[in-house]
Amino acid sequence: MNKSRSIQRKQQRAGWFFLAPATLLIFVMSFWPMIQAFIMSLQTGSAANMKWQEPLFKNYLRVQKDQLFQLSMRNTFMYLLIEVPIMLILAILLAQILNNKDLKFRGAFRTMVFMPCAISLVSYALIFKSLFATQGLINTVLMNLGLISENINWLGTTSTARAVIIIGLIWRWTGYNMVFYLAGLQNIEYSVYEAAKIDGANGWKTFWYITVPLLKPTIVMTAIMSINGTLQLFDESVNLTNGGPANTSMTMSHYIWNQSLGQGVANFGYASALSFIIFIMVGILAFISLKVGDTRD
Amino acid sequence: MKKKLLSLMLAGAMVATVFAGCSSSTGADKATEGDAAAATEEAAGEEESVALMGASDDDHTLTVAAWDANFNIPALQAAEAAYQQKDPDFKLKIQEVSASSDVENAVTLAGASGDYSQLTDIVLFQDHYINKYMTDYPDAWQALTVDADWKGFSDDKLSYSTFDGKHYGMPVDNGASIFAYRTDVLEQAGYTVDDFTGITWEKWLEQAKVVKEKTGYALLSMDHNGDDLPYMMMQAEGQSQWKDGKPNLVGNDTFKSIIEVIVQGAQDGTIILANDWSEYTDSTIIGDQVAGVFNGNWIIATMKQNKDASGKWAITTIPTLSGKEGYAANGGSSLYITSNSKHADLASDFLAYTFGGGDGAIATYDAALTNGGVISCYGPAGESDLYNAPDEFFGGVAANAQIVEMGTHVPAVEQNDYHYPLREKVGALITNVINGNDIDSEIQSAQEQMEFEMDQ
Repeated sequence: MNKSRSIQRKQQRAGWFFLAPATLLIFVMSFWPMIQAFIMSLQTGSAANMKWQEPLFKNYLRVQKDQLFQLSMRNTFMYLLIEVPIMLILAILLAQILNNKDLKFRGAFRTMVFMPCAISLVSYALIFKSLFATQGLINTVLMNLGLISENINWLGTTSTARAVIIIGLIWRWTGYNMVFYLAGLQNIEYSVYEAAKIDGANGWKTFWYITVPLLKPTIVMTAIMSINGTLQLFDESVNLTNGGPANTSMTMSHYIWNQSLGQGVANFGYASALSFIIFIMVGILAFISLKVGDTRD
Repeated sequence: MKKKLLSLMLAGAMVATVFAGCSSSTGADKATEGDAAAATEEAAGEEESVALMGASDDDHTLTVAAWDANFNIPALQAAEAAYQQKDPDFKLKIQEVSASSDVENAVTLAGASGDYSQLTDIVLFQDHYINKYMTDYPDAWQALTVDADWKGFSDDKLSYSTFDGKHYGMPVDNGASIFAYRTDVLEQAGYTVDDFTGITWEKWLEQAKVVKEKTGYALLSMDHNGDDLPYMMMQAEGQSQWKDGKPNLVGNDTFKSIIEVIVQGAQDGTIILANDWSEYTDSTIIGDQVAGVFNGNWIIATMKQNKDASGKWAITTIPTLSGKEGYAANGGSSLYITSNSKHADLASDFLAYTFGGGDGAIATYDAALTNGGVISCYGPAGESDLYNAPDEFFGGVAANAQIVEMGTHVPAVEQNDYHYPLREKVGALITNVINGNDIDSEIQSAQEQMEFEMDQ
C-alpha cells in the first residue's frame, strides 16, 4: 500500500517535471508580456519615456470617445455574426457529406476542402485582392458573361468590401473546422445510426437528433476558436482592403496596429489598452459559449 | 487535495524563480551592453530579418540602411565612389531592406526599446517621419557637425530636418511634384499643355471633362488609400492642413474648396481614386487609363513602364484655386545620422562632401541620376551637362533640370508629427463626401477625430 503510493507520487513528480519547461516558457513568452502590456496600458507618451496616465485608467476611458475604434468594433462584430454561423454550418455539412463511406475519392475531396488552410494568410488575402480588383478577374468574367455593364469597384465600396472579406474568411477557414467535425464524427458509433434507421428516422432526423448532439463538444470548441480568431482578425483587413473605404472594413486589431506601428504614431499605451479590451471581450464570449455548450446541470 | 496544494506550490515556486530570474538578468544586461553592438553586427549577416546591421567600428567605414536597389542604393554607391576621392580607404556598407517601412519600423522599435544598438550609422527614410521621430526619440539622432551648402536646397526640403537651427538630415532625392500630361491625348481634345499651365482648378475640371468626353481618358489618378492629393494641392496654395500644431480643417475655406475639386473630379470621372497603390500605378498609370499624372517626381519611374506613351509626356506646374502656377513636393527622403554612430564627424563630412554640395556633389548626383534615376534637390546639381541633356521620354525637353528648378520654388508649409494619420482621415472624409454625406459635417468630424487622436 505504502509502496504503491510512493510510486504514484514519483510518477506525479515526473509528470510535473515534464510539464515544467513548457509551463515556464509559456509564462515567460506569453504571460509576462501580458503583464507588461497591462502596465503599459496605464501609461502614455512616446515609447522611450512612458509616463503614468492621469487619471490612471484614462486610456480605457478614452475608448468611449473613440469613434474609429467603435467603428472597427462594429465591423468586427458584424464579421463575427455573419461569418461564424455560415462557416460552421458549411463545415458541419461538408463533414457529414465527406464522412459518407460510399463516397468515391473521399480522401481527395477532404484534401481539397482542407487545402485553403495550408495557404498563408497574407498570400490568400493578396490573391483575393487581385481577384476583386477593379480591373481584376472577377470583373472580367462577369463582364464577359454579360452580367454587369461596367466594372464594379468591389474593394472601394463599403458593402462589397465587407462581403469580400467574409467570403475570403469562409473560403480560408471552413476546411479547418471541417477537420474537427470529421474527427468528431469518427467517434460516433455506426450502430447508433443503424438503430435510428431501424426506427425509421430519415436523414435529417438522424443528423439533427444524433449527429448534432453528439458533436456538441466539438461544436463548442470550434465556435470558441472561431470567435476568438474573428475578434483578432488582422491580415484580411490589412492586406485585402487596408481598412478601406473610409475605414468601414477595418477590424479592431488593424486599428491597434495603426495606433502602434502602422502610421508611425507609436501610441503604444493606448494600443495596449485596446488590446486588453479585446482580451476581455474574447474572455466573456468564450465563457458564454462554454456555458451554453455545457450540458451538465 | 494534496494535488491542488502541490500544484499551487509549484506555480508559486515558478513565479518566484521567474521574477528572480528577471531581476538578475537586468544586471547581466548592463554588463554585456558594450558587446551588444558587435554581436548584432555579427548576427545580422546570417539572419534574414529586418534587424539593421548596427554601427561601424572602423574609422573609415560607415553603415547605412536603404531600400530600393533601383533608386536610392545606386545613389549611395555613387556617393561612396565620390568620397573615395577624398579618403581612398573609405567604405560604405549598404544594407538593403525590402521596403521603406522596414527602416521606419526598425527606428520605431529601437526607439521604443531604448536600445539603439542595431541602428546603422546613417539611416534613410521618408521626410514626413522625422518630425515624429524627433519628438518621440530626440536622443536617437545626431546633428551634422560639418556645414553643407544649405543655400542650394529649397526651404521646404530643409524645413523637415532642421530643428532649433541645427541640421539633422541630408536630403537625397527631390520630392518636387510634377503635373505631367499626355500631349497626344490633349491634342485629340483640342488642347495643348499651355492650356493647362497656370489655370484655376475650376477651369481644369471643365477642360478635363472635355478630354474625358472626347478621348475617354481621365486626367488624373491617385492612390486613395494614402491620398496625397489634398496635401499637395494645399501646398501649391502655400497652405498647410496644420496651424500652430493643430489640424486646420474646420473653417478653412481653401481646404474645403480643394476637397470640393477632388469630389467633383471623382464624380465626373476625370479623377480616378484607386483603391490602393498597385491599382494606382499598375492599372491607372501603366494600364493607360489616365492622360495626367500629378505626384512627386519619383513617379516618373512608374510612368516610364508604359512604353507606348514614351515621348508623349510633358511636365508643367500645378493648377491652383486662384490660377497662379503652383509648386508642391511629395515624398523624397533624407539621410540621418543616428546616435548609435561612433563616427558622427566622418558621417557628417561624408554627407556634406557628397550630397551636401561639397567637392563630390556633381559626381555623386550625376552618377545617382544615371544609375538610379534619382533627381537631386540640390539646385546647383541641376546645372550639370547631364541634367540639361534632352530627355526623350518627355519629347526632348530637359525635364531633369526643369524638375530641379521647380523644386526650388516649393513653399515651406507647416509640418506635423501626425501627417500620416491626418492623411488617412482626409481620405476617409473624401470617400464619405463622394458617397453623399454633407461636406461640412464630414470636415467637422475629421477634425474632431484628429484632435481626439492627438489628445492623449
